[in-house]
Amino acid sequence: MSQSLTEAAWRHCPWGMAAIGNDGNVLKVNPAFERCTGTAGATLPGMSEAAFAALLGSPLFEFVRVETQDGGLRALYYLRLVTANTGHKLELSRFTEALREPLASIYGFAELLLTQDYDEETRRDLTGTLLEQVEALTNIINEQHD
Amino acid sequence: MKRVLIVDDHATIRKMIRLALGDRFVLEEAGNADDAYTRILADCPDSIVLDVMMPGSMNGFQLCERIKRDRALVAMHVVLITACGQIEDQELGRAVGADAYFVKPFSPLALARHLGEALRVGLDGRAV
Repeated sequence: MSQSLTEAAWRHCPWGMAAIGNDGNVLKVNPAFERCTGTAGATLPGMSEAAFAALLGSPLFEFVRVETQDGGLRALYYLRLVTANTGHKLELSRFTEALREPLASIYGFAELLLTQDYDEETRRDLTGTLLEQVEALTNIINEQHD
Repeated sequence: MKRVLIVDDHATIRKMIRLALGDRFVLEEAGNADDAYTRILADCPDSIVLDVMMPGSMNGFQLCERIKRDRALVAMHVVLITACGQIEDQELGRAVGADAYFVKPFSPLALARHLGEALRVGLDGRAV
């Protein structure tokens, strides 16, 4: 396959793609990956595969990892939104699973703040984390409405 | 002191569990099941608090099954923690041999109580 053809396939693939180099770090991601994840592709190269894989843990995503030894690559990730296949809204169970992640943090940190004696710095840190998770929860709901 | 390995790809959840378990246990963390399995083989903890849905070559159900099929590891107390609230998911948890199953959102203090009872550890971290 010519280089231009490979480039075109990379750019226009409807699945998000990410290439992991032999050094175990992200080399690049394609435009569909940025659309699926809402992540600016420029922020990912150089990130370790473990940190990168952690970004894909949301039940909103479905992905596969393919080992390869072609072209200085260690692996390729193919990713899509769970809804991408049908164009319909997320299946209810998937949606509730996505909600449960930030909800778990909100419940847990609220319980700890209410029942445990922490110093002021820790209380501020935990309250900040709690608010971040409320924001994450709101984003999931807003995306569903969109 | 008893050792507990916390496995979840969400750092926020690991932080929450770490805070709840406090100083009663020696705590270690892993961000995926593959990393957790490597650690378990190197130095088996007394218990593992294991998320189900994680990136990597295996999920929490698969790691639990692998642990419970291994004679050297079967005694490890496995607590599955998951966003899968469906009955069939909980049945799958039982089928792979999990000792307990918490559905997110859950009380981290209830988890701490559960581990204290299961591992026979008092509030001061000593054996009871």
